Amino acid sequence: MTGPEIPDPKSKKAHKWLLLLAIYLLFAAIFIPLHGHAAPLTVTDDRGRQVQLQAPAKRIISLAPHITENLFAVGAGERIVGTVNFSDHPEAAREIPRVGSYKQLDLESIIALEPDLIIAWEAGNVRSQLERLEAMGYTLYYSDPRNIRQLVRGLETLGRLAGHPEQGRRTARELERTLEGLRDRYAGRSPVTVFYQVWDRPLMTLNDAHIISQVIRLCGGRNVFGHLDAAVPRLNREVVLAADPEVIMGGGMGEEDPQWVEDWRRWTEMTAVARDNLFFIPPSLLQRPTPRLADGARRVCQALEEARQRRPEDGE
Amino acid sequence: MAPDNRSMPPLLQLDDLVVDIPGRPDGAALRLAVRPGQCWGVLGPNGAGKSTLLHTLAGLRPARRGGLRLDGHPMDDLPRRRIARHLGMVFQDQQDGFPATVLETALIGRHPYLRPWEMESAADYAAAQDALERTGLEGLEHRPVSTLSGGERQRLAIATALTQDPRVFLLDEPTNHLDLHHQVEVLDIVRHMVAHGRGAILTMHDVNLTARYCDHLLLMYPNGDACWGPTRDMLIPRALERLYGQPLAVGQVDGMPVFLPLGTEREDAEPVQSRQNDLSTRARHKDAPAP
Amino acid sequence: MTRLAGILTVLLLAALAALVTAVALGSVQLTPAQTLAVLTGDGDPLHRTLILELRLPRALAAFATGGLLAVAGALMQVLLRNPLADPYVLGLSGGAAVGALASMLLGAGTVLISGSAFAGAMLSTFIVFGLAHGTGSWTPTRLLLTGVVVAAGWGALISFLLAVSPTEELPGMLYWLMGDLSHARRIWPAWMVLVIVVLAALPLGRSLNVLARGPMQAAALGVAVRPLEWTVYIVAALVTATAVTLAGSVGFVGLIVPHMLRLVLGNDQRIILPASALAGGILLTLADTLARTLMAPQQLPVGVITAMLGVPVFLYLLHRSR
Repeated sequence: MTGPEIPDPKSKKAHKWLLLLAIYLLFAAIFIPLHGHAAPLTVTDDRGRQVQLQAPAKRIISLAPHITENLFAVGAGERIVGTVNFSDHPEAAREIPRVGSYKQLDLESIIALEPDLIIAWEAGNVRSQLERLEAMGYTLYYSDPRNIRQLVRGLETLGRLAGHPEQGRRTARELERTLEGLRDRYAGRSPVTVFYQVWDRPLMTLNDAHIISQVIRLCGGRNVFGHLDAAVPRLNREVVLAADPEVIMGGGMGEEDPQWVEDWRRWTEMTAVARDNLFFIPPSLLQRPTPRLADGARRVCQALEEARQRRPEDGE
Repeated sequence: MAPDNRSMPPLLQLDDLVVDIPGRPDGAALRLAVRPGQCWGVLGPNGAGKSTLLHTLAGLRPARRGGLRLDGHPMDDLPRRRIARHLGMVFQDQQDGFPATVLETALIGRHPYLRPWEMESAADYAAAQDALERTGLEGLEHRPVSTLSGGERQRLAIATALTQDPRVFLLDEPTNHLDLHHQVEVLDIVRHMVAHGRGAILTMHDVNLTARYCDHLLLMYPNGDACWGPTRDMLIPRALERLYGQPLAVGQVDGMPVFLPLGTEREDAEPVQSRQNDLSTRARHKDAPAP
Repeated sequence: MTRLAGILTVLLLAALAALVTAVALGSVQLTPAQTLAVLTGDGDPLHRTLILELRLPRALAAFATGGLLAVAGALMQVLLRNPLADPYVLGLSGGAAVGALASMLLGAGTVLISGSAFAGAMLSTFIVFGLAHGTGSWTPTRLLLTGVVVAAGWGALISFLLAVSPTEELPGMLYWLMGDLSHARRIWPAWMVLVIVVLAALPLGRSLNVLARGPMQAAALGVAVRPLEWTVYIVAALVTATAVTLAGSVGFVGLIVPHMLRLVLGNDQRIILPASALAGGILLTLADTLARTLMAPQQLPVGVITAMLGVPVFLYLLHRSR
């Protein structure tokens, strides 16, 4: 971060500059209080757009489960007036009125709720519907954290937008501290090759750009398909067998359904299977960019540590 | 209108017309005229190009050479609507892709008379109704065409042509699918129209019916040859046998020759030659080699 | 003439009723009085937004799309003399979908997506009819078969585009493929095309009646068959492309509406074409209203509703007719 350039005071031009600045400050001091004490709130969203609110939002619509969860995490749960299906965490989120599914929003319900801020999910919502809302004059903030830094910063921003800047900052710091702690402890340990399974049919994984790969890295793991170009590559089972990762981990259809991971047991010649390094991690802990990522990361680090323990003695 | 009015231009004139049958060499150049009151029968075996000739006459496919004139006007100069008012074509097979009633089907015969935005008038309905009555289809007006028998469909096609009220009827095997009684009925309708100054060209398979109803014949040979003239001059057993590649027995009914096919394997097939009489000498052949 | 006027009057009233229903119903409950207040230029600002900015444009878009698709289906069925003909069977919507998805993949804006959908539909038409035309025989069977094969080809391309697309584009793409009226903007071109085509088709109606009996019969009755066929085909392509551009792929309307009308009203194109425009509009307007409200706030794809409404009605009519 570089500040504004300070002109060289020795030059004549600089004096003029300083004079202008002084006049500006004087006027600012006189006029700003007249606008009320709430200076417009300007933040940058995950698409890099400037979003401005006159005052912290009081009626928020969240268009993705992770957004709802993050709003609750920064203490702004009670300001959510509408959300989409699958917003199931925390328990209180289930009571919020629904405005359709994230894929098919019910614009009518959204408008009827008279929101002052709509928080959208670029990767999940239908762009044309969002454009429509924007065209009708609603304020949209895009929350689509693709890495840990964006997630941490996003929590802080949500806190500011929703009138809970303190708790936002606290939640963000806490998540950051937990993840830093894990990184300090595990990142340097002997690398473990990992295959992370997102979906079963078709078989899908993630490349290194994804936040989950980042978590795997900070636990001292290496995503075997991290180098692929596609963000969510579809794979042939053969490729996974050939890559022979030390650890296979993934989610499932539900929060407690390890079936997809267990299915790998039939390939007994794989290292991960032979060493019983199949780990089910509840998908919402990793696949939703929320403070619960700290739990998810802890579990990933533990799993990788277990895998290190299970290495044959002579290999060390 | 007097059938022998020679001062009027013919209804339909073929000027050295060569029918275009793809993949075959030029056939005979046809030079003949259909005048009011004339009924022409076209005879020939399957594949001789009878239907193709009729389609060419109707202007539905280009001729290889030569031309056609309607009332003295070259057909190529006339708009399609005008042609459709002059020539009415009844096809061998009627396709009905979409459901339609009998009356609707007859009514489309009025198409060439109506302006694009015009709806059918009461007079048009009356014409269709009249045509249906003349073809014995009254009472079936609101039946879907798909429920008609083959014979009823054939009569409906003729009713449509009657509704169209053309100067010249081009009928491709109009007695197809019909029992004897309805065959005669249909041909009586044609005779009636011809007697009222229309012309008609029919392709037929039944030599005897054709001879009875048509005053002129056009014989089309499989090799592209053709000959034509007044019916009485054309009924030469040798020529007809050659036409169909089929031995024939000849008899007489009401002073008219009647032809019966003989089984090819029968022993008395030979004597046909001897039973041929002097009819052949009266034939006026053209292009077709005399027997 | 009186019959036509009678049928059109009934359908016009039904159309009006369908539009009023679409405007009055939604996931937000409004009383008739509140709706009326908005329609008379009054009412709560929120209600005004709901009705004038969401429901009315959407209902009008649904009506135009349904009308266009039904007219396109009616035209193609006459052209091919085959009741199975439908813009979707002939691969037009597949071409449009590939055009739209490809431009979405390249990150194009709404206008460009519409443009590519239109171009895709036209391209598909020219491929299908061009190939089927081939050596000169333009038989319905050949055309239909070419259409089906080309449609299958587009289907493969669609799958390919979906497979290689980044995840953030997928929701929009799938939405488009299922048919989507919620963000239809610029409705007036579609309405213009609909009105012009129906008015222009009326004088051609009787010629189409004759054409429906086969090209030879039509020619013998004075119809200039080739020019008419090309006109019908280009108009049908244009109409389909307009509809698909407006609302994505909405199936069944083009197949079922003309069919139902033929079973009830007979096969006079002068009646069928305007009636298709109205009945198609009514069907899609009501179907979209159901899609919006049936499981509100959950939104259903309108194509699901058209199929669920259309198929049983169609089967019943078919059963009753014989």
